[in-house]
Amino acid sequence: MANGELGLQGIAKTFRVDGRLLPALDGIDLQVTPGEFITIVGASGCGKSTLLRIIAGLETDHAGAAVHDGKTIRGPSLARGLVFQEPRLFPWLTVEANVALGLENAGLSRDAKRAAVSEHIALVGLTGFENAYPRQLSGGMAQRAAIARGLVNRPGVLLLDEPFGALDAFTRTHLQEELQGIVAREGITAVLVTHDVDEAVYLGDRVVVMAPRPGRITRIVAVDEPRPRSRTAAALLHKREAVLAALDSGGRGRPEPRRLDAPDEPLRQPAAAIALQGAA
Amino acid sequence: MSLLAYAPPRSGDFTVALLVRLRHAAIGLLVPLTLVLVWALASARGWLPEQVLPAPSYVWQNLRDMAASGELAQHAGISAIRVAVGFAVGAGLGLLLGIAIGLSRPVEDYVRPLFTAVAQVPTIGWIPLLMLFLGIGETLKIVVIAKAAFFPMVVNTAAGIQNIPLSYREVAAVLRLTRWQSLRRLVLPGALPSIFTGVRYSLTKAWTALVAVELLASAEGLGYLLVWSRQMFWLDTMLAAMLVIGLVGYVMDAMLAAAEARLQAWRIDA
Repeated sequence: MANGELGLQGIAKTFRVDGRLLPALDGIDLQVTPGEFITIVGASGCGKSTLLRIIAGLETDHAGAAVHDGKTIRGPSLARGLVFQEPRLFPWLTVEANVALGLENAGLSRDAKRAAVSEHIALVGLTGFENAYPRQLSGGMAQRAAIARGLVNRPGVLLLDEPFGALDAFTRTHLQEELQGIVAREGITAVLVTHDVDEAVYLGDRVVVMAPRPGRITRIVAVDEPRPRSRTAAALLHKREAVLAALDSGGRGRPEPRRLDAPDEPLRQPAAAIALQGAA
Repeated sequence: MSLLAYAPPRSGDFTVALLVRLRHAAIGLLVPLTLVLVWALASARGWLPEQVLPAPSYVWQNLRDMAASGELAQHAGISAIRVAVGFAVGAGLGLLLGIAIGLSRPVEDYVRPLFTAVAQVPTIGWIPLLMLFLGIGETLKIVVIAKAAFFPMVVNTAAGIQNIPLSYREVAAVLRLTRWQSLRRLVLPGALPSIFTGVRYSLTKAWTALVAVELLASAEGLGYLLVWSRQMFWLDTMLAAMLVIGLVGYVMDAMLAAAEARLQAWRIDA
């Protein structure tokens, strides 16, 4: 199993829009330990997807350093799988062939490839649909296939950009549970970006709360609840309030209007220090 | 999540599909049959002199005579070979240049302006110049047809490749596909609908160019038959030649459409 250690130091990114410079990210510091499940939550425009694209290596024009297992990230790598918000399956390839795309450069034998593909199709519960075309799949099934494609190469890190955002509530809940199980079983590091606080708290070992203009980390909430988790566990509800409070104090754009009294105080320490504290 | 998409077609569905196809064919035949009817009526009533508009039965008789004597097959065969060779050369080179333009910004920057300007000159405008260089032999015909087939192929291939969504190209980048892998798995299949549009345009253009070049410089072929019969005022032969040209073109287009449907099975809704 590959390691999955990520380090972000002083990440800053500026977009040029109509000749004006627009700060998208500023001063992002984050350490992710191997096997950790990190969720990043924030309102639209807080730069969370940009941050994920930087980790994936799709955005290389930024300040600061992004490091994966000791190596600076300079482009996409097979050691990091990425699942987009939309499945992005190639419509002319079957489910099997789409998943196999992840192994084009794995250097495996034909039989080993076939075995890995069918194993990962089974992992996401799509057995029997190997020869289906993306058109024939529901949104949830297509996203499962996309997750299988991201995992089939056994990356040390799986990056997910609002992967369940476009799905109905029932399918979303179901896939969250399956993702939790898959990540635990494979022992990989996961970084999931979402605007859904419940999803962030349910899945994350730590929830990174971001605020916009410029995109920055305002708070990191550790969720030390054992897995498999119950959505209604008191500890999760408590953490949820902490995240919501952090989103509020972070400025505009709180994603959900509900609020109870928030007991946790916003942390003003550098993010790296919080990371070292672990489950506080 | 339904397995319905995988239900094999039942015999009932097959009958329905056949009826739908027959109905479709009947609708397509409606306008041509009406035209033939009007034509028959016009010649029966003597609306136009027989020398100007011969009756459909004359044209049919003439077609049968030419078919029986082997004259039709000879002309059609010559023309078909010219189109096949010219189209293969022109469309093949067009595909390669289209891919190069689609994949490479520098190639596009160097080639596009000249290409656009040259494409504005109609095929028939090139014939006098090409005659000076190539004479009026087979080479001239092949080059003119190839040139006609070349341009639509380049334009459509390049556009098809350039229109592949960035979202798919990002997938290829994340999966670290090599240039060749992404050409095979993403670029060519993604551009295929547009490439096929190019092929069909090319074939139509090649066929039109054939008639044009045979009109000007040939002693055989369907285009020649057209000119010669007009000069001799054999209007039944001329109309027969026109029918054959239209029919052959239609059949070639239908064959391409069938090939396209086979290659793009994924687009058909289950």
